[in-house]
Amino acid sequence: MNGAEELKQSLPSSVISTGMQINKPLAVIKKEDILPVASKVKEMDFDQLSVITGIDYQDRFEVIYNFFSYRKKENLVLKVILDHDSPAVDSLTSLWKGADWLERETYDLVGIKFTGHPNLTRILLPEGWQGHPLRKDYDMDTEQFVTIGEDGEDIVSTDGSKLLRRK
Amino acid sequence: METDEFILNMGPVHPSTHGVLRFKLRMDGEIIKDCQVVLGYLHRGTEKLAEMKTYLQFIPYTDRLDYISAMPNNYAYVKAVEELAGTEVPLRAEYIRVLAMELNRIVNHLVFMGSLLLDLGASTMIMYGFREREKALQLFEMLCGARMTFSYFRIGGVREDLPEGFIPKLNEFMNDMEKRITDYEDLINGNEIFLMRMKNIGVISAEEAINYGMTGPSLRGSGVNYDIRKMEPYSIYPDLDFKACVYPECDSYARYMVRVDEMRESLHILRQIVDTIPESNVIATQKYGVAPMTGMPYTAQTYFPRIFTPPAGEVYSRIEAPKGELGFYVVSDGTTKPYRVKIRSPSFCNLTAIPKMVVGLKIPDLIAAFGTIDVVLGDVDR
Repeated sequence: MNGAEELKQSLPSSVISTGMQINKPLAVIKKEDILPVASKVKEMDFDQLSVITGIDYQDRFEVIYNFFSYRKKENLVLKVILDHDSPAVDSLTSLWKGADWLERETYDLVGIKFTGHPNLTRILLPEGWQGHPLRKDYDMDTEQFVTIGEDGEDIVSTDGSKLLRRK
Repeated sequence: METDEFILNMGPVHPSTHGVLRFKLRMDGEIIKDCQVVLGYLHRGTEKLAEMKTYLQFIPYTDRLDYISAMPNNYAYVKAVEELAGTEVPLRAEYIRVLAMELNRIVNHLVFMGSLLLDLGASTMIMYGFREREKALQLFEMLCGARMTFSYFRIGGVREDLPEGFIPKLNEFMNDMEKRITDYEDLINGNEIFLMRMKNIGVISAEEAINYGMTGPSLRGSGVNYDIRKMEPYSIYPDLDFKACVYPECDSYARYMVRVDEMRESLHILRQIVDTIPESNVIATQKYGVAPMTGMPYTAQTYFPRIFTPPAGEVYSRIEAPKGELGFYVVSDGTTKPYRVKIRSPSFCNLTAIPKMVVGLKIPDLIAAFGTIDVVLGDVDR
């Protein structure tokens, strides 16, 4: 029995469906139940949270968690489906500290909110950047300029007028 | 005595941050109270660019993630696409790929040793490291014409077969390298100053390292016997004899020793490949290929179509890059361009643990601990 099936047996109300993703067991989870499911996954010895991926499908968002168990040498993929208007899901930072930056990155580039995250700010782009680049409707024609302020903070503008050297 | 805490900015431009990275340190005198890492100075939007390129066109962009070791980057990406498309790669191509990757691992660890020792104030090692690296780069140049940004791998194989005279030159390099590693160990490992700067510095326990998502040599330095080449064998690694190098001390010195040992293991792998490399095509022909014209050589250009459409689906594929677990999450919607590419870079995830390691230490210890994590900022910021 693979990890996804095991999960379905122990938490049948939280798992929507199970299947395989190429060669990895996959379980689609109700978005409200991600925290209890994740702690169950951690109990099941999946101790590594490998990566968090956010995908914009235009009518919905998907967040995908890849887990690996060092002892059992098994993979497990969890997927939650979020609505497109206000994508939000519970943060896993209380279980995996490594989730901190991965969630911040997903927030920064895809615009998914992780409720309960202690410091949900942009990580790769400067604070004040407009839009989330990995969304399909991101406006790539508007140039954005970044300069540094008096106290070392980032200042973003679209016309470039606030730049220190470039006028 | 009453002291005040103050904020110290280290970077973005600082010789010991290996690129443009900023540490925002809250200091009490010389002691680090809190460490915040500020990233993104080298962010180029690689994942967005991937959505606008065809599958083949994206390969050169992967070179520019971790530019010290570009071969494994190429491989992680083409492996993901191959898994998606179900491409069978000829055996000789897999041998050449592993050869290139292990050679690249040695190059990466030479740069690691050089820059670490330079950060600690010893400038000899970077000269030695770059001397040997130059020879390896010449080998790469023979292989694909480039010294750092190779783009040598293709979906279904490699671009060209090994050139004439490559194996003798590689043998020469390996014989030389074997002696050099001993030289480095004589030079560094017993050095009193080096030991004092490395031992019991930047300690992170195995549980914490796993919890923070550390992988690769940095995790093996915490005593976790975890190597994707062993755990989830890919390519020809199941047929090769090598061991995962593990040190249980959890400190900077252990992380350094793992890498020194890995260079030896890589040499051992290279020797096995040179002895056993089989003859065959170097690019897949079975599925997307067209029949070769008589007398034409087997090359990527004759066999693999430029426009290539894998079936719709998703895959997460990962490999053991020199810095840790490098994974590509590729989503195909059945068109010529990927719908989404997510890069799980080892440098980014290993860097997460730095604040945990250095709080309570002094700034020179931050530099030593950061050096042993071995990050490349192109890989962190993507």
